[in-house]
Amino acid sequence: MEFKTVLTVCPYCGCGCNFYLEVLDGKVIGTIPCKTSPVNEGKLCIKGWNVHEFIQDPDRLTMPLIRENGSFREAGWDEALDLVASKLKKIKEQHGPDSIGLFASAKITNEENYVIQKFARAVIGTNNVDHCARL
Amino acid sequence: MIEKVIERVKELLEGGEIKGFVGLCNKNGHTAPYLFTEVAELDHLVVGDFQNPGDARYPLNKLLIDLYRAYPEEKFGVLVRGCDERGLNDLYVWNQLTPKNVVAVGIPCPQELADACGCPKPYPDNSVAEPIAEGAEAQDLIRMEALGVKERFTQWMEVFSKCIKCYGCRDICPMCFCKECSLELDELIPRGEMPPEIPIFHLVRAVHMAGRCIDCGLCNEACPVDIPLRTLYKKVGDIVYRKFNYRPGFDKGKSPLNVLENK
Amino acid sequence: MTNSVDEFELSDCIFITGSNTTSSHPIVATRILRAKKKGAKIIVADPRRVHIADLADLYVSHRLGTDVALLNGIMYVILDKGWENRAFIEERTEGFEEFEKVIKDYPPEKVAEITGVAEKDIETIAHWYATAERGSIAYCMGITQHTTGVDNVKTLANLAMLTGHIGREGTGVNPLRGQNNVQGACDMGGLPNVYPGYQPVTQFQIKEKFESAWGAQLSDKVGLTIPEMTSGLLEGSMKAVYIVGENPLLSDPDASHVEEALKRAELVVVQDIFMTPTAELAHVILPAACFAEKDGTVTNTERRVMRTRKALDPPGEAKTDWEIIADLSNRMGYPMDYSSAEEIMREIASLTPSYGGITYERLEGEGLQWPCPTKDHPGTRFLHKDRFVRGKGLFHAIEFKPPAESTDDEFPLWLTTGRLYFHFHTGTMTRKSGALTGEIDEQYVELNPEDASQLGISTGDEILLTSRRGQIRAKALVTDRMKKGEVFASFHFVESNANILTNPAFDPIVKIPEYKVCAVRVEKAAS
Ligand code: SF4
Ligand code: SF4
Ligand code: SF4
Repeated sequence: MEFKTVLTVCPYCGCGCNFYLEVLDGKVIGTIPCKTSPVNEGKLCIKGWNVHEFIQDPDRLTMPLIRENGSFREAGWDEALDLVASKLKKIKEQHGPDSIGLFASAKITNEENYVIQKFARAVIGTNNVDHCARL
Repeated sequence: MIEKVIERVKELLEGGEIKGFVGLCNKNGHTAPYLFTEVAELDHLVVGDFQNPGDARYPLNKLLIDLYRAYPEEKFGVLVRGCDERGLNDLYVWNQLTPKNVVAVGIPCPQELADACGCPKPYPDNSVAEPIAEGAEAQDLIRMEALGVKERFTQWMEVFSKCIKCYGCRDICPMCFCKECSLELDELIPRGEMPPEIPIFHLVRAVHMAGRCIDCGLCNEACPVDIPLRTLYKKVGDIVYRKFNYRPGFDKGKSPLNVLENK
Repeated sequence: MTNSVDEFELSDCIFITGSNTTSSHPIVATRILRAKKKGAKIIVADPRRVHIADLADLYVSHRLGTDVALLNGIMYVILDKGWENRAFIEERTEGFEEFEKVIKDYPPEKVAEITGVAEKDIETIAHWYATAERGSIAYCMGITQHTTGVDNVKTLANLAMLTGHIGREGTGVNPLRGQNNVQGACDMGGLPNVYPGYQPVTQFQIKEKFESAWGAQLSDKVGLTIPEMTSGLLEGSMKAVYIVGENPLLSDPDASHVEEALKRAELVVVQDIFMTPTAELAHVILPAACFAEKDGTVTNTERRVMRTRKALDPPGEAKTDWEIIADLSNRMGYPMDYSSAEEIMREIASLTPSYGGITYERLEGEGLQWPCPTKDHPGTRFLHKDRFVRGKGLFHAIEFKPPAESTDDEFPLWLTTGRLYFHFHTGTMTRKSGALTGEIDEQYVELNPEDASQLGISTGDEILLTSRRGQIRAKALVTDRMKKGEVFASFHFVESNANILTNPAFDPIVKIPEYKVCAVRVEKAAS
């Protein structure tokens, strides 16, 4: 038996409510708002209260997918990433770094956004990096 | 007091009497609901006083029910205050838990908390320490009763109109365990509407909690728009007590209102 | 936000505009309603009668797209009555004379004409806000998603400066961020013109700093925004896009145009947690971990950097976004060998002055609000305390401009778009939740009873909603929350996506699309 309560931040709106995810034997079974959070003081909206419902949805993507003849087939990480790497390299050589763009995201962590923009700037060599802030 | 709690839990864990203890833990700079399974972890045990006594209370009985459902053969300990113990008593009656699977470790509440709660019995029967506070009157209820009917109605309608239908009052409630919730019955309260229809949303819940609410106040604390739900449910509890001489968790037996339950 | 969320409780007048607060930022609404209980005046200006309008002391419904006119009118009254804060204007601002000249053109009579708001209401707003001890402004996408989005925001800043309601507790100009880490994505340089911490890509010393830290040659040319990338793909100057955690096919205006752009790309990589309509168009899809499956930090609307923690392993082969990018980077010959998110944060802190003092250890407990430049800095509750970042606050002289599109016989109604309380963004996460889809799971277009009866439409009827760009099918919801001539739809539902209709006319400076207003026609669908 393993039961954990893990303190984290709501993935939805910009309030950034804190809550505990209740995890029993590798399954998220509930959300409990954090009372000592200066942000939400033990309160949540309906979206936060039900956040545990989508995490382990059977429709989650679990494998890299490569398009082939109009449909997707599963692939391993090596194959998928080597393919992306070689295509990006080729496009960069043929059309220059500014022919490539990256969409960072308002739904992922700071660390991840940092790594994405660093990848765009240092690896691809372009400042074409933006996210949905305006949208 | 906290030493006594730790001592007791240590005994229970070391003696192998319980599989784990559902309590509160100082973790990540916060007071967290937590399952203690090792004696070494008990250094971090707290009782839920953050800035004021009892302001970081959590529905521990609810966690206990989750564990019981997954491990019906195991026995767990749980930290209880007066209200939580009343909750346990009532949850046994409703077959949501069985006494043989639960070891309650009780703590009495300080007067400050008892007064803030207007709690009639701020200590559990089964406690690691003697009571330190006397039962308090529900001042909020007294204040409200002093108002005229019309004024009362206006005030309630005004606060209800703030509701954002988060269902937090239900989700946090240690005494809400119905599989199908009346608040989600489309015929009663149209779904998808925000704000929900008032006062029906709040009255449905109030009626539904009659004879079941153990007056812990957690719903009140979880309401994002500060609706004084506890006062409302105290009032309903009061009516039930006067009419049927029944107070959930105090008195043995099922609520005389159990015809209302769609179990 | 310039100020913190809990500071709303200290305000004695809160002016909310373009924000459906109880619905989109419920926990901010908590504080606003507490302020009201303590006696603060709450003013709501919104074309739609949103829930918080019902709870306000004064609600005005201006016509869609007339925000600048309304605000200028309010400022006219403030100046006319002498309610402005002269000391603040003299000590802390510049550009006042120029600005005052423009404001002189917006007497209440004229503004009432443009906005549909009664003169006496304009005066009341001016009175309450200007004479408050602490006045605070909260706004959201209803202000920014216009071709005049920047004008709208600058006009709100003018209002705060005119009255000195900035740089103190319980005051400020407070944009409510729509997504959990919009703030962080901007802070981290997920923008085409700046490195992390808003350090311009065009500045030589900055570029040098990052070149030496990263060991790479960097470009000093400002990059493209998302709408510009879309156009680039259509024109052929852009060849590849790598999309992480976004669903532009639903979230961007004129969705069919975006679809066409992605189809023309040589390479589309989508990294996400679910198969989205955007992912359907990808050449390669990479499975990502969701928020509950990784350690990291996010920054909320009040600049509070907070820890997210891993509760579970990602499903199947899925990995965190940073692990995937680092792996790809290694394969492209640029080593990124981070061992944890914490290690990345150490690098961020070393290169980003406003995050300089942030460490995972210090984030335990309440987190830290940037700017937090050093390890012993306590973080910053509110900005612009003694001075503005640029020194003096600049007044902008801004004239009202009508929306980019206009209505005509064929498209006689105005459409505005937004979110519903029960769903989030493009619905990829919330539509997987039974509790939320049980509330609502299809598009309802909201329209005013008068318009509805003219069109012979009642609640529940199937209708067609058509703009100059496309058409969607939806159900009707007849409600007096909409005023005559205006209709509302959300963008949560792929099968009835309001962004097929919206106008990709952008604000010329920050390129925010005009979601909040376009011309449409409503008709009953043939069953
Ligand atoms: S719980 Fe609701 S209010 Fe809080 S961050 Fe999540 S979506 Fe926003
Ligand atoms: S006070 Fe509220 S949370 Fe506690 S038992 Fe009663 S209804 Fe449930
Ligand atoms: S907790 Fe408050 S806001 Fe939420 S549903 Fe209950 S009464 Fe309404």
